[in-house]
Amino acid sequence: MIPILARELTATLRSWRAVALQIGFLVVLGALVILRWPSEARVDIGGVASRQVFRIFGYGLLIGLMLVSPAFPATSIVRERLQGTLALLLNSPIGPVSLVFGKLLGSVGFVLVLVILSFPAAAACFAMGGIGLNEQLGGLYLVLVLLAIEYAAIGLLVSSIVRSTDAALRMTYAVILILAVGAMVPHFILKEIAWASPHVNDFARAIGSLSAIPAVMQAVGDTGVLSGNGSVPEVQRFAVGAVLVTLLCIAITSVRLGSRPMDRARDAGRITDERSARARVIRRIMFLWFFDPQRRSGLIAPWQNPVMVKEQRCRPMGRANWMMRLIGTYFVLSLLLVLGATTLSQSQGVTGVLSVIAVMQVSLIVLLAPSLASGLISAERESKGWQLLQMTPLSPATIVTGKLLSAFVPLALVMVATLPAYIALLALDPAQLRIALSIQITLVIFAIMAVLLSAGVGSLFRQTAAATAVAYAVIAALCIGTLFIWLGRDAPFTSGFVERVLTPNPLATTLSIIGTPGFSEYRLAPGNWYVMAAITVACGVLMLLQVARLGRPR
Amino acid sequence: MNSDLVLRASDLTKVYGTFTALDGLSISLERGRILGFIGPNGAGKTTTIKILVGLVKATRGEATICGAVCGKETARIKRFVGYMPDVFGSYDNMRVFEYLDFFGAAFGIPRRDRKRRIDECLDLTGAARMKDLFVESLSHGMKQRVALTRTLLHQPQMLILDEPANGLDPQARVEMRQVLLELARRGTSLIVTSHILPELARICDTVAIITGGKLRAFGTLEQIMQTVRHSRLVEVVLADRAGVAAAAAALARELGNEVPISQSEASAELRFNTDRDDEGLAELLGRLLEAGVRVAQFRELPMDLEDAFLSVTGQSGVKPTDSPASPHAVRDPKLGVVGAGA
Repeated sequence: MIPILARELTATLRSWRAVALQIGFLVVLGALVILRWPSEARVDIGGVASRQVFRIFGYGLLIGLMLVSPAFPATSIVRERLQGTLALLLNSPIGPVSLVFGKLLGSVGFVLVLVILSFPAAAACFAMGGIGLNEQLGGLYLVLVLLAIEYAAIGLLVSSIVRSTDAALRMTYAVILILAVGAMVPHFILKEIAWASPHVNDFARAIGSLSAIPAVMQAVGDTGVLSGNGSVPEVQRFAVGAVLVTLLCIAITSVRLGSRPMDRARDAGRITDERSARARVIRRIMFLWFFDPQRRSGLIAPWQNPVMVKEQRCRPMGRANWMMRLIGTYFVLSLLLVLGATTLSQSQGVTGVLSVIAVMQVSLIVLLAPSLASGLISAERESKGWQLLQMTPLSPATIVTGKLLSAFVPLALVMVATLPAYIALLALDPAQLRIALSIQITLVIFAIMAVLLSAGVGSLFRQTAAATAVAYAVIAALCIGTLFIWLGRDAPFTSGFVERVLTPNPLATTLSIIGTPGFSEYRLAPGNWYVMAAITVACGVLMLLQVARLGRPR
Repeated sequence: MNSDLVLRASDLTKVYGTFTALDGLSISLERGRILGFIGPNGAGKTTTIKILVGLVKATRGEATICGAVCGKETARIKRFVGYMPDVFGSYDNMRVFEYLDFFGAAFGIPRRDRKRRIDECLDLTGAARMKDLFVESLSHGMKQRVALTRTLLHQPQMLILDEPANGLDPQARVEMRQVLLELARRGTSLIVTSHILPELARICDTVAIITGGKLRAFGTLEQIMQTVRHSRLVEVVLADRAGVAAAAAALARELGNEVPISQSEASAELRFNTDRDDEGLAELLGRLLEAGVRVAQFRELPMDLEDAFLSVTGQSGVKPTDSPASPHAVRDPKLGVVGAGA
């Protein structure tokens, strides 16, 4: 374990990226505290200002660690596999459990350095008074350390399953988003349903405790719709869940590494067209022929963009059979949304439900767009396919169009799948039509912008993993980062300043259109649409220029 | 000027900062001929190829393929040239047929002809059985065949193949050789780089040897041999091993002490380079026999591409060792022995 731990730590800590990340982390945390530091020449005996600073500090730390913790472990094992060093490691006397622990501790070690770097900012909050050392500060750090270990273990597990670094990052962040946000949804919906069984409610609440958000909310002394109010403190609930998830991930990863991961037969390339008549008939009925994954593909039609078809065929879930499954999933999701919309509208009101749906839609776009678009160019460069594309007569415009279309199609499916929920809400309250249309305009522009922003930013990188991570960071900074300024809307920021900062934020714009408390006072649309359109055009031009540059002789 | 010339390159130069990767290279190639492009690692082969296919811009000089200027008329060059880099460039989750269909569509092959063309090329390269396999599951040799198929799809007039035999087993190498010869027979011109020189010697009509960015030799195999053959390599096989030292001493007396002589007591052989003509060699043999050396065989060794390459690149086989105790001790890679001279 020690050699692995030493190698992982030195490899991570000596890179310039690690130093940049540490400095950036420190600067952001320091800025958050300074921005909220009371400037009045009065003593705050109640500790209100102190708790405000601590709240921003806690949420900032939570989001930072959620983004950083899984980044290194998610690519750790898959990178070893791609570089051919996994076979060397498995052939060494180091056992799979030691290997997993070595990698886990190596990854967590780096995150712990970041946590330690946050101590001065935490001390500043504590020095202001009004914050408990054990319950609040200790609780927050306990949650964050457990979260770092848990997410690193999840990243390692995903890394042992997938075949490419960017897929590892995508899947890890998807799992983390589901764990952090999705886990709370069943409890959030079920608690409003009168006929739901208490046992089911308890179970949903237990699932919700897997998210670190309620625990952090409790630790920073926040009360809101998501914070816990049960007899067992949220921090303890989360701690138990995190330890269980971590142990489970370590166990599965160790078993996977110990069960000869290289012992896999090559795909036999079975094709339905070559099978017996009986098998062909059965498969044609079973898969409705068109959706048979083993059907021989047709030739690319003259009206199709070859790059788009290629991208869809390359993508694990881009083929017709997978697209059908995705459509099915979205349809079920849509039905759940309709159910949620009709049940919750009685207690939360149509506005409340619209807010929840909008947040979910924005979350889906934030999750999907970078994963679909960030590697469009870098993956091509990484697989050495770019050189081959350069040797074809395809123009940069054809390449860019084909690649972007391949990202838009699945995203459009997600958008369409959520429409029935809006229809159900409009049936309940037809007066909301104007609001619903404005929301849809915002989300459509955001989806287009998110794809182009991810593709444009991603085109600047040689490695898909780096492109994916940076694209996620940029989109998250736009949708979540700007909300930190909103947290300081009373002081020190003026209303005008907060409005300007929130203007590019599609989530804030949607919530302001709906009239959600806290956002209703800002008029963000249509300014947000123009800003997003401008970013879209700029990123499209950037991508086109980058493709043209890469296509030119060196 | 020969109208059958497919490739003309004159004074091609590429400079990166202060480093000259390619220095005034001039070559040409006729239709249906195969040019073997050889040189040690970092010699400038790939730079030359990339200039020809338009991926790299030459600092100086010009090259044309079928009349299209490389680096300027890129659209025409892409039509005329089929380029197979030394890396495969695979796409995950795609079957071989889909992979070829994409490149066929990208080159604008009409849909009605594309399937037939893919099947023809797969047959030609012996990759038809791989049609339904996933690209990422192919072995290295299989990928080489698929890459060659991809290169042939748009019926290029010139093929540029970077290490096509790399990683192939002996059987696959023979098959690849036959495919390349068949393509040349059909009128396609080929530029092939390889480190497997005997393999290259079997298919090439013309050879270009490049080192340090400079063209050291260019012409047919025979012309290159003539150019680099400054001396003849002669082998003397003795009837018994005991006479090796005496024979070496006798040779040293005749040739002069400065001529290195390699010797192997195990196989009772001696080798040396000389510029004597046939008359001179006959005289030398007579002197050896007069000196009592029991000669079983006395012959000139033919030069092959490997010898020519080593000779041009200054790594000729016969080199004196550093041992001060044996000033005429020599190392011969073919003999694989080290011995003391006179």
